[in-house]
Amino acid sequence: MSNLIIIIIIAGLAIIGGLVFYGRSLMLLRIMENKEKETGRKMYELAILKELGDRIGYSLDVHEIIDIITGSLRQFIEYSAVSYMLIQPEKIIFKVQLEKSVNRQFLNDIRDRMIGSLSALLDKELSKSAVEEVLSGAILSEDDNQPVRSFFNIPLVIGDKVVGVLTVSDTKSGLYKEEEMTILYKITQQASKAVSKLEEVVRMEQRKLNSMVESMADGIVMTDNDYRVFVANPAVKSLLGLNEKAEVTIFDFIDRLGGKFDIRSKLEESVKLSKIVEAPEVLLGERFFEIVVSPVRSSMALTSGEVLGGVVIFHDITREKELEKLREDFTSMMVHELRSPLDGINKIADLVISEKTPKEEEKLVREYMPIIYKSSADMLRLVSNLLDAAKVDSGKYQIFKEPAADIRKLVAERVRSYEPSAKAKQIKILPVIGADVPQNMSFDPNALVGVFNNFVFNAIKFTGEGGEINIQAFLHKSGADVLDEARSNDINWFIKAVGESFVGLPTSLVVAITDNGVGISQENLPFLFNKFRQFKTAALTADKKGTGLGLVIAKGIVEAHGGVVGADSDEGRGSTFYFTLPI
Amino acid sequence: MEDKQQYLKLLTEIIKKQAVILGPDIALLKARSIAGLKVSDSCSVEDISGDPKELIQKLVNAYVELSGQIVKSALSSIFEKYPGINKVV
Repeated sequence: MSNLIIIIIIAGLAIIGGLVFYGRSLMLLRIMENKEKETGRKMYELAILKELGDRIGYSLDVHEIIDIITGSLRQFIEYSAVSYMLIQPEKIIFKVQLEKSVNRQFLNDIRDRMIGSLSALLDKELSKSAVEEVLSGAILSEDDNQPVRSFFNIPLVIGDKVVGVLTVSDTKSGLYKEEEMTILYKITQQASKAVSKLEEVVRMEQRKLNSMVESMADGIVMTDNDYRVFVANPAVKSLLGLNEKAEVTIFDFIDRLGGKFDIRSKLEESVKLSKIVEAPEVLLGERFFEIVVSPVRSSMALTSGEVLGGVVIFHDITREKELEKLREDFTSMMVHELRSPLDGINKIADLVISEKTPKEEEKLVREYMPIIYKSSADMLRLVSNLLDAAKVDSGKYQIFKEPAADIRKLVAERVRSYEPSAKAKQIKILPVIGADVPQNMSFDPNALVGVFNNFVFNAIKFTGEGGEINIQAFLHKSGADVLDEARSNDINWFIKAVGESFVGLPTSLVVAITDNGVGISQENLPFLFNKFRQFKTAALTADKKGTGLGLVIAKGIVEAHGGVVGADSDEGRGSTFYFTLPI
Repeated sequence: MEDKQQYLKLLTEIIKKQAVILGPDIALLKARSIAGLKVSDSCSVEDISGDPKELIQKLVNAYVELSGQIVKSALSSIFEKYPGINKVV
């Protein structure tokens, strides 16, 4: 009996021991399994973070980064579909990778949940109509009518901006455990942080580049390969009237450029064919632009040569066009000016040759010779002026300074020579020379005669009968205020402000010729010393005496002396032309 | 008592909004991981125990830890509806 009890006790103990051992083994197995799962998750996390790290090193494309996460997801988690939505300026991309066949309702359900998630994140309703669906993987099957039973969304954030949402979904219920979901959130957050950091670096570099681009006078637009505008400088916004828009899209440019320049097609042509496309002359509003479209290539080692987008440069050529037109007008008018006297000479010569009798020949010579003389003199003056103007242009105008030239004597001689012309119009010529003007100075008196002649004959020409012309000279001392000096010398002039020409002026003689004639309009003042403008104006006026190049030549003579010329006027009251000679 | 109802409503709105943003499964899991919150399957907070402000803070922190500051920003419109309850930091 006692033996039986002992056996039962031993058996009981063995069973208990066995059960305890089994229980412990089971527990250990579970621990091992959990450890294995955890190790698997860790390995997955590390592998995907490494791949993301490598990729983010040279790409900031959110599509690519999300594709890396979704592409390797199946090794780690079960799902029917993994999808992401990315918010673009003009649409929402909805990309779905189907692992198993699902029906259209499943897809629509996922899309609506993702739109709901984004709307809640952004606190604004997003429209389903803007969604562009891209499907890959398994096919849609209407036989399968399983609904969405498990899903979770991961917001995609770059910087502090929501860019999209990633969703994992399945037809089975209660499928996703907290650990699995948490790892995916963690991976996405790390990727987002890395991209945000790198984007900040890129943004900083971009800001530097932008400040350079923004200060450029040319209009600049840069786009990526999807025609998203990422640089539009103030010049381009201003020329297309887009100043008020903080963010501009390619559609703004298409609208504003109308049919004058197809920016999108040109960008496409440039980017696809990797070549520079030029539009030499496009009229936008009242201005002409040369538009150049060029592909933008990467210079980074890994992606070197890859086309990243396009740049459009708007270069304002209105001024060049105006100058070109003036040059053309100048040439044609010059030819016309030469042809008229030549034609006269030619006709008279023909008449002389055709007349046979010596008596008639003598009569013809007496009658026509003065005309030939006048025509050839006009031509000679025109050619001389043109040659002088060309010398001024090329900086080859030569002067011959006399070391002890006398400005008082020169002015007195000039006044005497102008008196007959002035008297004919009852104009008074009043010379005023400042007491401190030196007796002897170094200048080319013959060349200065040309300057005086030009300024004074113009004054006589544009001053009415009974008018007055002042020929004045005073001394400017380096650093002193020219206007004060003029006042203290009782100089009569229309110079109202000290312009650029007087800044840093050394000690000089200032000569000012002031008339009380018709004056010059403010719009014409800047062009007084422009060769092409002057010639055109002279040729167009009824009184065609001279080529209008005199002022240009005068400027060249003064500049050859190291001085400056200028003019100012009150239209209707008179004008002042001045020049300086450094002492 | 009235105050507690306000807190229950606010907490429920937070969880329901997060259920829309993140999905109901993870939103519920995170809410239920906060000691002191009793949350139904429909994401409604049925009861609370402890300092309600602290509970709000812990709940928001749990969501922020999971998916970043952006989910907190998305809650600002909810907090505006409850001016009597100080906004969590």
